Amino acid sequence: MSTAAAFRQKTITYGLIGFAAVMAIAFIAPSEGYYLNILMHAANYAIAVVGLVIVLGYCGQFALCQAAFLGIGAYCVGLGTGDYGIPFFVALFLGVVITGLVGIFLGLTTLNLNGHYLGMVTIAFQMIVTMVLTNWAGFTHGPDGITKIPRPAGFGGGSTYLGLCLVCLVAVLVFAYVLKASRLGRAMQAVRDNEIAASTCGVDVFFTKTVAFGICAALAGLGGGLFAGAFNYISPDQFSFGESVVLLTMALLGGVESAFGALIGTVLLVVLPEWLRFLRQIYLAVYGGAVIAIMIFMPRGVWGLVSKYLFKTAPIGSAPVKPLPLLSRSATVSDEIVLETIGLAKYFGGLKAVDGVDVKVRKGSVHALIGPNGSGKTTMLNLITGLYVATAGTVKLSGQDITALKPHDRTRLGMCRTFQNIRVFRGLTVLENVIIGAERRGNDVEGIDDVTERALAALDFVGLRDRAHLPVGDLPYGHQRYVEIARALAGSPEILLLDEPAAGLNSTEKTEMAELLQRLKGHGTTIFIIDHDMRLIEQVADHITVLNFGRRIADDDPRSVFTHPEVIAAYLGEPRNETA
Amino acid sequence: MSMLPQLLFTGICIGSIYALVSLGFVLLIRAANIVNFAQGQFSMLGAYFMVILFASLGLNYGLSLFLAVVLMAVFGVLFACVSYWPLRDRNPIAVIISTIGAGILLDNTVLAAYGPSPQVLRGLFEGEGFLVGPIYMDSQYLSIIVVTAVLVSLQYLVFEKTTIGKKIQATSQDREMAAILGIPTALIVMGIFAYSAALGGLAGILIAPILYVSVGISALIGVKAFAANIIGGFGSIPGAIFGGLIIGIVETLGAAYISVPYRDAFAFIILIIVLLVRPQGLFGERISEKA
Amino acid sequence: MKLLEIKGLTARYNAGEVLKGLDLCVEEGEIVALLGSNGAGKSTTLRAISGLMANVSGEIVFNGAPILGLKTAAIARLEIAYVPEGRRLFPGLSVRDNILLGSSNRRGAPATQLKKEVDAMFDFFPDLKALEHAYAWTLSGGQMQMVAVARGLMAKPKLLLLDEPSLGLGPKIVQQVFKIIAEIRQRGTTVLLVEQNASVALAVADRAYVLDAGVLLVSGTPNELWGNKQVRAAYLGGLAASA
Repeated sequence: MSTAAAFRQKTITYGLIGFAAVMAIAFIAPSEGYYLNILMHAANYAIAVVGLVIVLGYCGQFALCQAAFLGIGAYCVGLGTGDYGIPFFVALFLGVVITGLVGIFLGLTTLNLNGHYLGMVTIAFQMIVTMVLTNWAGFTHGPDGITKIPRPAGFGGGSTYLGLCLVCLVAVLVFAYVLKASRLGRAMQAVRDNEIAASTCGVDVFFTKTVAFGICAALAGLGGGLFAGAFNYISPDQFSFGESVVLLTMALLGGVESAFGALIGTVLLVVLPEWLRFLRQIYLAVYGGAVIAIMIFMPRGVWGLVSKYLFKTAPIGSAPVKPLPLLSRSATVSDEIVLETIGLAKYFGGLKAVDGVDVKVRKGSVHALIGPNGSGKTTMLNLITGLYVATAGTVKLSGQDITALKPHDRTRLGMCRTFQNIRVFRGLTVLENVIIGAERRGNDVEGIDDVTERALAALDFVGLRDRAHLPVGDLPYGHQRYVEIARALAGSPEILLLDEPAAGLNSTEKTEMAELLQRLKGHGTTIFIIDHDMRLIEQVADHITVLNFGRRIADDDPRSVFTHPEVIAAYLGEPRNETA
Repeated sequence: MSMLPQLLFTGICIGSIYALVSLGFVLLIRAANIVNFAQGQFSMLGAYFMVILFASLGLNYGLSLFLAVVLMAVFGVLFACVSYWPLRDRNPIAVIISTIGAGILLDNTVLAAYGPSPQVLRGLFEGEGFLVGPIYMDSQYLSIIVVTAVLVSLQYLVFEKTTIGKKIQATSQDREMAAILGIPTALIVMGIFAYSAALGGLAGILIAPILYVSVGISALIGVKAFAANIIGGFGSIPGAIFGGLIIGIVETLGAAYISVPYRDAFAFIILIIVLLVRPQGLFGERISEKA
Repeated sequence: MKLLEIKGLTARYNAGEVLKGLDLCVEEGEIVALLGSNGAGKSTTLRAISGLMANVSGEIVFNGAPILGLKTAAIARLEIAYVPEGRRLFPGLSVRDNILLGSSNRRGAPATQLKKEVDAMFDFFPDLKALEHAYAWTLSGGQMQMVAVARGLMAKPKLLLLDEPSLGLGPKIVQQVFKIIAEIRQRGTTVLLVEQNASVALAVADRAYVLDAGVLLVSGTPNELWGNKQVRAAYLGGLAASA
């Protein structure tokens, strides 16, 4: 059975089990009173907490205004149905759309900056929402809140409305589950684990983060809208900063890796305070203490603890897959130029890290860039892949000027790279890492089955197929390098850029790496490689460019380069003239 | 129009408080690389220490002030040991979340002990005030400005003119290198926590007569200190001071000329504008590119 | 007398082993060079001596006492100064302050004396005198290297660890820096030098060790090593060695 079909079947099974469970709960739940309230509270909050799981757990972005979104959703339903006579479901839908748009707007303002900004802006936003809800009495009914919010026709009864909330919850859980295994979900996790590597794998980091935050907000809007109908009454203090923290605590306690963590955390924190009534006075203080304790002692939350013991990923079968398309080619070096830099330069303040370098990489060749430490090699690679913006000069890929393109757009055009200090996605398995490489836009694959097959073929090629199911962090350093190479190869690159693939490898591993590069070369893969290990370079390179102090000092075939006096001087120093 | 000088005076005074708290905040960013979301709680706690020492125990004002600031410094170290030290090698988000937890814990512990009703605390000087040209200089407002000016100058002198100050700067610029030179970096980081908490506490004590002492101080001051920091430039010391003053002035003017209930919103509106237009802040360097 | 002795030193980053049982020793008064290509483990050796590596095992004995496991600042107080790769000056402090802070390991040294020593440092590095009050980040690479060495010397070290002092410097400046290194030894400081530029390092060193992939490849005096094919191969590969 294909991966996609198996996943679909599993999802449907889980969905049906969930649906049956909530129907049972709605059926046996009392139609009013205390226990019904607890259940409704938990169901609506859990929907919002799933939003936090997506933004924090999947995408690694930290936001603290979930209660504000909850409030906006609730007020859309409260005001819409009451003051404006809009039908319940229309108001609910409007709430989801509005919160989603507000989330996207907030994301657009801050998500291109680093981690702390979203956190702070969302706190500010939370404060503004509370202030508006409290003070704009003419519109929001002020601090007294809105009463007598109707439930939709047909869902007036306690248990039927609870059923509605629970069905929405199950739908949201299934959505989060499917999202995690989708291309977008994988992109989010890639962003979480390593933004730079994600962008060079073709993921639009800013877009992905913004979408994650938009989804997070929209889910809070949904939870809030349902909340308004559940209790028929809302007021500003239900959506204060403190509630945002409670929602965050729910996500952290349950575990942000999975939507089920959100469910566990919410249920625990809705039910526990009711049991711990004697703490009433200080229960928020205990919350605060719990947050610190969770961060220190249980960083993966309850679900993290449970899943560590319950779930072991099974090895992926060894059924044969189609080999990588690039393996069908044979070694031919043509005169066609794949990559070209013209006068490329990068200055950091007064330091000319790269100073007007020309490079021409011919199709099918292995082109090496060498030079002493600090000569500008990695800067060069960062300029080529778009991680740095060039001070001057042009980069061309297959004749197209790509100097102004972002890293992910360059990847779309067929540029895949590895990193000297390994950048794998630590929260994902080996296979998932490589799948992210395989599903770069511009690759000739369609659908998850195709992508998985391509990823497995890449793992076959580097010899890690039997490790595909393991978390990538469990692999030794040398193997993680191969994961990076497989990730790049799975994207069928026009040109493969390798940043010191042999760094940190022992001599056996270096020999294996040389063999792997020889094999790639044998299939006509265009490679641009930086390395310090000259024995590796001289084995594989067709052409070598040498940098020193950011300038090109030699550009020739290996034999000429290694006997070039300026190159020897750059590496060994000037020959000693005194015969001591 | 005649209101303007008076409003500017008030704005600078309120802004001085934000500047003090923001200063403590930025020092922690620089020395320990942590974004402390419980900075406002330092002010709240300082004010309550003062309530305990001065109002409840009946100590003399000067002694209470001294003890409260010392207690805050001690508290700062305790805070570091619980919510920063165990997480120092982890993802920065873990520390952020842990400081948020600490903030909630502090707010609600105090709330459980004192309840929501605000406590009253008298000002640094008991005298009234006096008129200088068009401006009425309330003694409490004036004392805030003076204390802030003195503290900022003192800090400047210590940082720029003493060896210990240079060691602190060295630690915040490159912690590993500082350790290589034999500077006791862990001790210095703890010292910064103590100083940061004491600064925050002092700000709380100074603002108490104007705002009353309540748990609400935490969120109010803390969030504006963040905003001040981003407006001024993330991690910039002059940025923290000017960002604080800008927020103080804008919200005072906004409250007078536009809307009183939304006075607290102005800070956030400037914040969002700055993020859109100049995300590195007024004094910030360009956000560095790094691969 | 052996000032520093390393036995069976193993060090790892994450999952990768960088040093695999290194043995070396430095006699008092010597300049010893550690050579080898990038990733050979030279800098890691210096970082391990300075207590900056988390995963190390083996033995490091300084002045007769084991120092492996001590905190970085405590090792500095034993009068080992480390001038790391890339200079690592404090960019926001002046040249004078950077040099002054080099004495941080000497607790209790009176301020007036330290001031005199900094002044003496400016006599030793006359080119820096004019830059006394400039921020460190405004300096050129060569000037930064001078300041970094001066800062290291302010520790009054028994052992000076120099990591890639020639990195990113033009040939003339490199000559200057190595002249200074030779002078430092004249004044009685022992130097352990990591260097990629083999010829300048061998010109000043008494002995050298060549590392390759975390193990000792060969060691000896400069004359024994210069022209050694293994050494050339470690840097430039077989083609250059056979040329």
